[in-house]
Amino acid sequence: MHEAISAILTISRWEVKRSLTTMGRNVLPLAALLFVFLILATGFAQQRGVHLQDGMYAMVTDSPDLAAVIAEDPRFQVTLDSADALRTGGGPVDLVVAGGRIAAADTDRGRAALAAFARDYARYETWVYTTQEDLFAAYPLWIDEIPVKSELDFLATQQGQAVGAVPRRGTPPVPEGSVEAVATPSASLDLSADDLRSELVAGAAEDPQVSRYADVLSSDPSDLAFKTPSQLSPPLPFDSIVLIFVFIFPLYFTSQFFMMSIMNERVDRKAEILLTTPARPAQIIAGKALPYLILMLAISLLLTLANGAPPAIMLPLLPVILFFLAFALFIGMVARSFKELSFLSIFFSTVATSYLFFPSIFANVHVISLISPLTLIVLQVQGEGFGAMEYLYATSLFWLTSAVLFALCTANFTEERLFTHTRLLSTVRAFIGSALSTARPHLSVFLAAACTIPFVFMAQLMLLVLLFNLPMPFSLVTLLLGAAFVEECAKALSLYALARKSPGLLTWPRLATLGAAIALGFLVGEKTLLLATLAQISESVFGAVLFSSLQVLWLPLSLHFIGIAITGAAVKLGGRRALLPGLLAASLVHSLYNSFVILGWSG
Amino acid sequence: MNLRHVTLIARKELRGLANERTIVFAVLLQLFIAMFSSFLMVGLATLYDPDAVAGFSGTRYAVGYTGTDSVLRELLEESRDFRVYPMDLSTAVAALKERKLNAVIWVPATPPDAVEPVKITLYTIQNDIQATVVNVKIKDVLLDYEEQLRDLRTDRLTMEPVAVAIPPSAGGENFYEFVFGLLIPLLVFMPAIISAALIIDLITEEYQHGTLETLMATPVTFGAMLWGKIAACLVLVPVQAAAWLLLLAANGIVVQNAVPILLHVTAGSLILILIGAFCALHYRERTSAQFIFSTGIVVVILLVLALPANPLNLIVRLAIGAIGAEHWIILAATAAAAVLLASLTHAYADRVGGMRNNRILQDQR
Repeated sequence: MHEAISAILTISRWEVKRSLTTMGRNVLPLAALLFVFLILATGFAQQRGVHLQDGMYAMVTDSPDLAAVIAEDPRFQVTLDSADALRTGGGPVDLVVAGGRIAAADTDRGRAALAAFARDYARYETWVYTTQEDLFAAYPLWIDEIPVKSELDFLATQQGQAVGAVPRRGTPPVPEGSVEAVATPSASLDLSADDLRSELVAGAAEDPQVSRYADVLSSDPSDLAFKTPSQLSPPLPFDSIVLIFVFIFPLYFTSQFFMMSIMNERVDRKAEILLTTPARPAQIIAGKALPYLILMLAISLLLTLANGAPPAIMLPLLPVILFFLAFALFIGMVARSFKELSFLSIFFSTVATSYLFFPSIFANVHVISLISPLTLIVLQVQGEGFGAMEYLYATSLFWLTSAVLFALCTANFTEERLFTHTRLLSTVRAFIGSALSTARPHLSVFLAAACTIPFVFMAQLMLLVLLFNLPMPFSLVTLLLGAAFVEECAKALSLYALARKSPGLLTWPRLATLGAAIALGFLVGEKTLLLATLAQISESVFGAVLFSSLQVLWLPLSLHFIGIAITGAAVKLGGRRALLPGLLAASLVHSLYNSFVILGWSG
Repeated sequence: MNLRHVTLIARKELRGLANERTIVFAVLLQLFIAMFSSFLMVGLATLYDPDAVAGFSGTRYAVGYTGTDSVLRELLEESRDFRVYPMDLSTAVAALKERKLNAVIWVPATPPDAVEPVKITLYTIQNDIQATVVNVKIKDVLLDYEEQLRDLRTDRLTMEPVAVAIPPSAGGENFYEFVFGLLIPLLVFMPAIISAALIIDLITEEYQHGTLETLMATPVTFGAMLWGKIAACLVLVPVQAAAWLLLLAANGIVVQNAVPILLHVTAGSLILILIGAFCALHYRERTSAQFIFSTGIVVVILLVLALPANPLNLIVRLAIGAIGAEHWIILAATAAAAVLLASLTHAYADRVGGMRNNRILQDQR
């Protein structure tokens, strides 16, 4: 154990020394200079403002006051004109404000201009009203919003039922359960008018173009104790994209160095020397990854502290860091050329970013948002915090996929794999092939099938996001087909890799037993992960799911078996070329079954 | 420099991209982002602006009204969005927990024209999409109520804003601005950034894989090699950007002035590609070159964005047709900057390449 650690540390030292010498003299001074430039440029941009949306809208008005107010917004080109001239008009104008009335051009741009104007006007109104001596004449209505927890929410939305009540005429609804006494709320605000005023001023002083994005980390509108009606609507959810730029992007950037370091080992064949040392592949990988892991942790800690965010957000960031490192290792090991490396890494980063970003949009809105660790960060920044179960739910897929990828890459960290450059897909196939044992084929395909589950879940969640907005019957059909295809691919992966590794192994009886092992592994993995992640939502749901799914367990099992049997038979009969048709056929059968079950249950 | 050699190298690099199927990833990426952004638009538009979908408009939400009777109750009843049930507070909250109500309002006995404000309490379901929708609807009613209360207290105000009757439909999120003011400039400039990263790969690969010597042994000169690679990367930019515009059009987002936009993107991307080539020629090693390039590019983009009438802003305004012929001047300026940078790169390549050739010659002696 002690030897292993010292081997890892030695390799880490090599790695640091080597990257410092390659980067050393030439790069670091320039990088430091660029960093200074970066700070200067940021300051310059902050001072001058970002001129991306300048001059989008044209407005004409007869009110000098209003013209002065709106002209502060660079999006508007404001022209002051007399009321008579306005009537004759002319030219492409989006908004005309005259005599207290507003007219917008009947185009998308006109409507957008109106919306932008309405926001500017609201800020101006707030500014006028907050300067009033008598604040409660200007703001006579205050709302205290109390969220009530409903125990039914996850179960109801999971099953796609109408979540809301169906209102009946006349008689008010009667609760079925016990009625707990709710204390009568106080009729007065327990904050002074000055406190409320300063809150309002703080909210209104914001330049929506910049502060909306800049203030996500520091302040949050939901912190307001009481709201005026105009503050009631939920904030635009794009704000969590700021978190991506602040926390996720630097991590992705740093992981690039690890990716490159792995690729360089292969390009100049230095890894050969490493492989001849007594250090085992796992130790080499751990040693090479360690400096980058520390660097990424340090960067995220620095960013956290610099932004004044709570340090607890490091917890959800850790699996994300490992996830990035695992993929960097994988991409660095499979890419054939620098071009391929670039494209693979850009593709991966886009997919990973959207996977992190999308669910966090629904933070504060829906429990589904918890599948992204970013949501935990949002919650933590808002001061709500998260529990152990929420943490498990949000990060388990990241922990699991990283672990599987690291294991896969460790098994393939050999001379043969590192220095052969083949097509991407056959490289991946060979990777999986060498992780499987021909001596114990059943056990290894069982485990391999179970290990694909976290990836399958991620891919299916991604599909849900992408197909969500297609027209209704089309989105459901493509989702069914897509989800089935992902599952069939995942199952075929280990069987096909095994068949290519030792072609003699796949006899007809073997096909049946291997198929059964894969189907079982897949099912076990699926149900375990599903239960583990659903368990936190509600104890009662946990029981219900466990019970009902045990009753019909043989159905999905046989379905998984039929799917893999179709693909396997196709490969056995037609060889490599029959893989894709086999997969498609299996997916078709799979989705037919799924649609039967879904239609059968709902209809 | 032989033009035939330049095209030869360019075609070789493009063929390499096609062979490796890496270009497939680029296409997949485009499709992916296109679907994702349309999800953002359509999905969120329906979520946050329920009226955007006709199916929602008929729904009535159940509201439990508790506390003192007031004008607010009449306003809620007049609204076609709600069904109001006068109840007592405890029962109403219990019903809300069971989702038999969508919201509960408690109104105090404060007179409308009192010195102190009217403070109502609103109970909603936590973590629920429908609660969000209900909130948006209730907000409209409460704004009306606020206006009435303000009118009653108007003689206590010392100054009033310039009155503008904004139609109630004016609210809501500005998706048009998100799409045209953020997404489109981002999307059309992404190919430029990809190409600039690509040129670094293409050049450093020759150095790191040791293929440069072989290439230099052929009649192809160093300059021809460099410009061939730059041409290959540059050609990809307008093609990809045009594909974006077509995809957007297929999604129902019609962008105006497509040709000038493509010209702006191509000119801008030439600058980025040349910066990338410069880094690659200087470092001859991918990690360093990419690192310096990506840090440098952030500085450049920040500075450009801080300038008024920058190319990205021009793309926004061209896309929505809010600009006259003055953008041609900026295009000429960008092109001039690109030409200047190109001649600098050429001179630098001559120096580096020349040195390299000399060294090879010396080695051979």
